[in-house]
Amino acid sequence: MTGSRWPALRRTVSWPWLGPALGLVLLAVLLWPPVRRAMESGMTQHMLVQYPAVLAAGALLIGAVPQRWQQGLQRFNELGIAGLLFAAVAMAVLMVPRVLDLALVDLSVEALKLLALALSGAALRLSWHRAGTVVQAFFLGNVLPMLAVAGTLYQDSTTRLCNAYLLDDQQTLGAALPWISAGILGLWLLQLALQHSIGRDAPDAIEEPALHASALTPQAARETDPRGTRG
Amino acid sequence: MLRTALTSTAIAVLGGLSASWLTEDFEVWTAEGARRRAVIEAPVTVPPATLLGAGLTGHSLHGLLASPGRVTLVSFIYTRCPSVCLALGSSFQQLQAAVSGPAMDGADSSADSGIKLLSISFDPAHDDIDQLGRYASLWRADPRHWRIATVPDAAQLQRLLQAWQVVVIPDALGGYEHNAALLVIDERGRLVRIFDEADSAMALAFARSLQRATHASLSS
Repeated sequence: MTGSRWPALRRTVSWPWLGPALGLVLLAVLLWPPVRRAMESGMTQHMLVQYPAVLAAGALLIGAVPQRWQQGLQRFNELGIAGLLFAAVAMAVLMVPRVLDLALVDLSVEALKLLALALSGAALRLSWHRAGTVVQAFFLGNVLPMLAVAGTLYQDSTTRLCNAYLLDDQQTLGAALPWISAGILGLWLLQLALQHSIGRDAPDAIEEPALHASALTPQAARETDPRGTRG
Repeated sequence: MLRTALTSTAIAVLGGLSASWLTEDFEVWTAEGARRRAVIEAPVTVPPATLLGAGLTGHSLHGLLASPGRVTLVSFIYTRCPSVCLALGSSFQQLQAAVSGPAMDGADSSADSGIKLLSISFDPAHDDIDQLGRYASLWRADPRHWRIATVPDAAQLQRLLQAWQVVVIPDALGGYEHNAALLVIDERGRLVRIFDEADSAMALAFARSLQRATHASLSS
């Protein structure tokens, strides 16, 4: 997200190790047993804090993989399809209530859960811009309704779905999930709107780089990934 | 694109396999569901535990449960419990009425004499012998049918809760939430079936059939 899309920014602030280093610190903090226990002490923290935080750590850490290897990986990830599929499948599996209970008592399930989340974060970062609007829409069209429906189920259930968590905790989480789903949709629409406004100018930008001199260097404007605007 | 298609297929298969493992072929979605299935396939013998309770102090839990021809319905409680245990208490009261009165289905009522009720408190710090006695008189528990006890030794209690996957978590009000249920224990002291507390009629029917089966095998 940072590298290819904003080459100008990257050139001025050239700390390629910063992202992966942050990712490593984040992951280390998340794995540190007192933090891990605190994050898993409630169903809401477990799903709404730990899950996204590990996703973010994975997304940051993938930056440490050399470009050449990333390109090798991407040969298996045309249009970001494989990466987004991985993330969607992993999230669907990790939303099964039994996972939350098992992760607390079974260390191998916990390890697999964290690994799947970190890999999903990496996969999302590698795939998002390659995907383009149509594949992104397909991905979100699957994941967001799933989040909202799971949330509704959590909220409406009068019995506890996780033995380790309180009923009102489950209902808090359930109430939050549809809103989060709607929020992600909103962010994506915002991204589309931004892309659209840039996209309209993009062909001109290549022919008339001076037009965008205030925002991007001419070279950067030429380097702006046209894939980002492709449907 | 072929490589991406193959990778995607592999991801889908891997996801399907993990989901199928996790949900036991899409049969259970919760840990409680998995627990209930697991005891049907592999009954769990009660671990060693010494009891505290009227007429039970010093007795072993296994000794109380394991007796030829006996089937015990066990529930875990704490006597301060305001909500779910009230439901459990009243369903146990109804069960007591059912097993002490004439059998409703016309079967030999002596068969029901082998069906016992046992409430185990997981809160021995608060539930001493007096508290347990108060709980017994509140629900008019008849010790011939319904016993109330706790396991005062913390390590033994933990092993018991773990073996039968009873999960107790403190709530915000100083009490506990727990996966309250009716546990059916066979004559060998094994947990063989778990029912919702609301399904006490089903639990009793199952206990009766189990009891009749063992009764029949005893007399033959």
